Amino acid sequence: METLSAVNSNSVPSLSLVGRRIVVTGASSGIGRATAVALSQLGASVIAVGRNPARLNQTMITMQPGGHSSYLLDLAEDIDALPGVVSEWARNHGPFSGLVHCAGIEMTLPVRQMDAVSLNKIMRVNTGAALMLVKGMCQKGNYDRPCSVVMISSVAALTGQPAHSAYSASKGALSAMSRSLAMELARKHIRVNTVCPGQVATEMDETVRAKLGSEKYESIIAAHPLGLGRPIDVVGAIAFLLSDASSWITGTDLIVDGGFTAQ
Amino acid sequence: MMNIKKFRNEIENIIECKVGSLHGGEMLSELEDWDSLAVLAFIAMIDKNFGIILDAEKITNCKTVDDLGALLGDLISRK
Repeated sequence: METLSAVNSNSVPSLSLVGRRIVVTGASSGIGRATAVALSQLGASVIAVGRNPARLNQTMITMQPGGHSSYLLDLAEDIDALPGVVSEWARNHGPFSGLVHCAGIEMTLPVRQMDAVSLNKIMRVNTGAALMLVKGMCQKGNYDRPCSVVMISSVAALTGQPAHSAYSASKGALSAMSRSLAMELARKHIRVNTVCPGQVATEMDETVRAKLGSEKYESIIAAHPLGLGRPIDVVGAIAFLLSDASSWITGTDLIVDGGFTAQ
Repeated sequence: MMNIKKFRNEIENIIECKVGSLHGGEMLSELEDWDSLAVLAFIAMIDKNFGIILDAEKITNCKTVDDLGALLGDLISRK
């Protein structure tokens, strides 16, 4: 007969994030803001990081109360400084149970117009900053066990679109990088995964819509069998990857795209 | 500020035609390489030079090369 403790150890893992301290970048808008708000509702204490003071403040107001903090930071400004910044946050608040890297930029640029400045910019923000944040996160004293890192990648890491070569490169690199980080950090009990959203209605998406025009944009929506995503549609996957319910998942891309890549 | 000659040169670069070959009155629909990718390249060029994201639909409503310049109003000098 199983003992009570054995039964408990086999019980369904919880999605609760009570008592978890989680850094969310890109928290001033879009998926980042929705993530910060949802994690606060799941009981986490959120360190919200963003560039826009007014919008970041709006995120803080929208969150459920719970010992949250916010930091204004442009991640692209000095990525070498990011590990030290994470250590400072850990000194201020205590070690972290998770990181969600939502900050990123979109770039729709045909290859003929590509230049080193544009390429370096998107790689620095979408990929380099993510790596340096993890460098800070995995330092002794900066993380708690269990710890989970979730990178917001994209279906652009998996599929091709015209004028998206640099964006796809940055997200493909982010996904590939996350797999290696998962292997390297498993010994520290830090899991690393990505979420790959399809087209999601965010502020960034408004720019995409303007650039592409209604007709092209409608064709992209039509390519999503479940329709255009909302930030909240992506948040469930992020919360799952942060929680104990995903404790045996690391180094994977979780595609959340309304069926876009299933075709 | 960008002058109209430089502006046309930028479009010549986008559609890969000879520098100095555009004079402004050309119909976009008759330019072989003016297509959806060229529109994206044009939007990127304007964003890079002026920090403005033009709406693709405004661009597709333009008939001539100089109509594109007119979208930018005073930001393009006519000299």
